[in-house]
Amino acid sequence: MSLGLLFCILGAVSFGLLGCVSKMAERRRCNSSAVVLWMICWAALFMLGRTLTQSPIVHLTWPVVALAVGFGLCATIAFLAFQISIEIGKVTVGWLFMNLSAGVPALVSMWLYGEKLTPLKSVAFGLALISLFCLFQGNRLEAREATHEKSR
Amino acid sequence: MKSPGRFVWILLMLVVLLTNGMGAFGLKVLSAWGLPAGIKFPYLTVWYAAGLPLIGIPMLVRGVYGGFKELRWGALYAVLSLGGQLAMSYALDYGVPGSVVYPVAVGGSILVVALAGRLLFGEKMHPLSWAGVGIGIVAVILLGVSAS
Repeated sequence: MSLGLLFCILGAVSFGLLGCVSKMAERRRCNSSAVVLWMICWAALFMLGRTLTQSPIVHLTWPVVALAVGFGLCATIAFLAFQISIEIGKVTVGWLFMNLSAGVPALVSMWLYGEKLTPLKSVAFGLALISLFCLFQGNRLEAREATHEKSR
Repeated sequence: MKSPGRFVWILLMLVVLLTNGMGAFGLKVLSAWGLPAGIKFPYLTVWYAAGLPLIGIPMLVRGVYGGFKELRWGALYAVLSLGGQLAMSYALDYGVPGSVVYPVAVGGSILVVALAGRLLFGEKMHPLSWAGVGIGIVAVILLGVSAS
């Protein structure tokens, strides 16, 4: 169990560093499209290697390919939008938005698979909305303060 | 942040909000179709590769080429992404319940980024934004707990 918890923490650090690395790449004036392109290239190559070494080799059907292409495009657009956003916004807020996006499939699941809206989910959605309100309002106030400082 | 920049930022955040979560939704559809677990790897190969023409073609048209610098950062990005996924899956294999794995990994990652944003990148935020980050972490943890 303690080794399991260590892996949990490693997961947190790994994902956290992912957010930091994207900001570091931006600070070093890397091209956003190129960074995301290479990232998906490396990840696709790793997954291809893993696919070819597993036995038995599993073949994809056309519906699964269509599913992978559709949702893969969604993920690529998200990565690219995040990488571009940190050129003008803050990485902390951008990374939080990446994680808050988990609420969207939860909503779709309720609609598509008839999953129940539990009290815990209701609270989570409510807090997510409050958080989004605070983040957008906070951003508006930061922009206003920056304008005041410039005009002085 | 200038107002045109702010408008673009809001637009980008809305795009992130709508597309990032949906990107992972395919795995849920796969499990609902009752397909063998081994299909995950070829599925993810196509899932990652799907974005190559989407980004690559406009780059070629504009004559933008990623240099060695981008190649290195992209590789690090990929290693950390896959490393995070592997660490979470090993944690589950070692018997840690999903209701613990998800909040620790995701909540912890936001904390790491928030600390780095403040200490490494010198990001200053309005107290309302910090409140948004705090409430957002709780919301993400609760979403994870309710899903596991």
